[in-house]
Amino acid sequence: MSVRGNRGGLCQYTPPMGIFDEVHGPSGVRPHYRQLMDRLDTIGDADLADRFGLIESIFRTLGITFAVPGHESGIDRTWPMDLVPRVIPADEWRHIEAGLIQRVTVLNRFLDDLYVGSQEAINDGIVPRWLIESADGYVREAHGIPAPGGSRCVVSGIDIVRDEEGTYRVLEDNLRIPSGISYVLENRVAMTRVLPVGFARHSIRPVDHYGASLLRALQAIAPPPVVDPTVVVLTPGVANSAYFEHSFLARQMGVELAEGRDLLVDDRHVYLRTTRGLKRVDVIYRRVEDEFLDPVVFRQDSLLGVPGLHGAARAGTVAIANAIGNGAADDKGVYPFVPALIEYYLGEKPILPNVTTYLPWEPDQLELILGRLDQLVVKPVAEAGGYGIVIGTGADEATLAATAKALRANPRGYIAQEVVQLSTHPTFVDGQLQPRHVDFRPFVLSGDGIEVVPGGLTRVALKEGSLIVNSSQGGGSKDTWVLEDGLEDAVTTR
Amino acid sequence: MLSRHAEDLYWLGRYIERAEDTARMLDVTYHNLLESPSTDETRAWKELLEVLFLDAAYPGPLEGRDVSSYLVTERSNQGSIISAVARARDNARGLRDGISTELWEAINVFYLELARADFEIDIERRAYEIFSSIRSRCQLISGVAAQTMPRDEGYRFMLLGWMLERAEMTCRLLAVRYARLAGEEAEMGFHTWASVLKSVSAYEAYLKAHDASLNPTKVLEFLLLSQEFPRSVLYCLQLVERLLERLAESPQQTRVERAIGRVRARAEFCDISVIVNEGLDQFLEELQKEIYDVSEEVEEHFFRAGTDLQLHSYRWA
Repeated sequence: MSVRGNRGGLCQYTPPMGIFDEVHGPSGVRPHYRQLMDRLDTIGDADLADRFGLIESIFRTLGITFAVPGHESGIDRTWPMDLVPRVIPADEWRHIEAGLIQRVTVLNRFLDDLYVGSQEAINDGIVPRWLIESADGYVREAHGIPAPGGSRCVVSGIDIVRDEEGTYRVLEDNLRIPSGISYVLENRVAMTRVLPVGFARHSIRPVDHYGASLLRALQAIAPPPVVDPTVVVLTPGVANSAYFEHSFLARQMGVELAEGRDLLVDDRHVYLRTTRGLKRVDVIYRRVEDEFLDPVVFRQDSLLGVPGLHGAARAGTVAIANAIGNGAADDKGVYPFVPALIEYYLGEKPILPNVTTYLPWEPDQLELILGRLDQLVVKPVAEAGGYGIVIGTGADEATLAATAKALRANPRGYIAQEVVQLSTHPTFVDGQLQPRHVDFRPFVLSGDGIEVVPGGLTRVALKEGSLIVNSSQGGGSKDTWVLEDGLEDAVTTR
Repeated sequence: MLSRHAEDLYWLGRYIERAEDTARMLDVTYHNLLESPSTDETRAWKELLEVLFLDAAYPGPLEGRDVSSYLVTERSNQGSIISAVARARDNARGLRDGISTELWEAINVFYLELARADFEIDIERRAYEIFSSIRSRCQLISGVAAQTMPRDEGYRFMLLGWMLERAEMTCRLLAVRYARLAGEEAEMGFHTWASVLKSVSAYEAYLKAHDASLNPTKVLEFLLLSQEFPRSVLYCLQLVERLLERLAESPQQTRVERAIGRVRARAEFCDISVIVNEGLDQFLEELQKEIYDVSEEVEEHFFRAGTDLQLHSYRWA
């Protein structure tokens, strides 16, 4: 036992070599973490463990669990939140925020251009047409569906990682139905209960206005000339693993949570079936995937959608968020072209760079990929949730051979990327703080303007050394604190 | 509110009332047989099944143990208590935002208790315990609902279902029991009438209002027309009428309000001695039909918005 063995916190924490640690810099604890770490240091190990136990019971009481796909037992796991929050200082946040606004502005423009515009970016050769039209999420039937204000990505979740140098990089865009915001809000609630003492209480930017901001963004895309638009959340139903979030958001916004059978389309207008008769619906925040939205146009076996919804959207009597067909822009094969799109539309350099990516469908790049397969990450373009990813550095011969074969057979189906050693963060594991890899998903709202919620979902790979942070793959989460402007000074001079 | 949510709440109320009434009737039939050994057992169980419209579907022997299992724990029987509670729980699960957590818990615990593997064996040994525990579970649920739910539209729909089911069940009970009594001497009927009263928890209330002579006409009048007793048909119908006025919120009388007004007036202004002389059977039959009409109108008015439309959406395929 060390001299300070009865104290918790960072005394035994060793950041890993060659990786950017969020808390520990070359000269000790980074300024924006000092206050928090001092606080954790004064709480004993035993007390920390108690508080950690409290988290589970808080989430169980709140009923916040998630279903793990492939585990049909029906027993949901409690949402795993870590005790140590992630802290983002104001200057770093300004950088992230500017980068996100720039990126989402361009993604909105590109999609609007693609579906209702003149397809400039494609015609000018910035992105190959065949690539867009072969994207899984490209929807031919979305052509001509208007999006007021061009806000096709009303809610975007942009996954960001930090590389070995600490540079924030975009890893993935999620422009269809990104989930996780309810955990951001609930993590904050739980955190205030677990570590209530007023440390840094004036310095953390709040996130609890998300419901109001989302509603404002949704109202902003209502088809003109509606003045007081009726907004509903469309959910696939209780069986969906994200149902908790759907009902949470409906409550936060104070709008109805509808299933497909609660809506009907008559003469190209959408109505809600209520006890007072039919009520016109102007905006649908749908958490149902494109192909299930309307059995008349998409999958005929879908019971989750509303017959005629696509026609109403095309007639412009109802706005659907996010817009149909957004998958054309968040396809992993299209991702490598986003920096070029930013330069094309805005004439600016990307503020947040991509991760270096290779395109297997380019013959010379395919050879490069195959030659370095044991050093790269290969990702299927159509999978989500961390499924199907092969990390070359840890893969055996058979896996590499199978991956090479798959790449040759279907080069459009994959991308390859340099392995990013995600930054680490002290995380409470087995009763002490240990380094674990983290990523970050901030949420961006596009309505009248673009708003970035100051915070986001920090996901953490609870397995030692693992780079896969998805909750479906045993990942956890952290509350994420964005500090108010000017705090760094306050902390360093204290 | 969403029609689907309103409908789920309405049926939630109906299912819980149905479970409670079924348990009451089982309890009384069972103990009536013990108290008056001369009663024809087969006939008593057959009547119980008739009240519940399950006599045709029932496959087993007309004995207490079999009928009880069929009515309590038989999942293949849509009219069993466990089926009603399972459906109430399904509704409650989809309504988590629309009902209080306490109400959800009360329903969930009730279901889990009924679904326990050893429940069936218990019935044979401890009939009284089982029936009264089901009854008190249902009473707990209605109490929790009354204490924890805001008096909003959703609550009114739940209560509406609850009261319509109760009015129907009381009518059915009277119809079947009266048919039996018709051929018997008055004194032979004492136990029958006592059991009718007990099965709706009205025995003590009746004794307070009248006396122990159990005049059949007075019993009928009490169960049909009491303004004070909360399980009488008139009491339920008056409550339904007030609920529907609030729910319809329409300056003109709607069809559903006219339907409830009709049946409430029929009950309220009837002359019980005339009815007894001219045929209770027919009166009860008409009353049941009119209550059923109210249910139909409720579904039509509140839950079926848009079903009469000629949908034009398919032209846009």
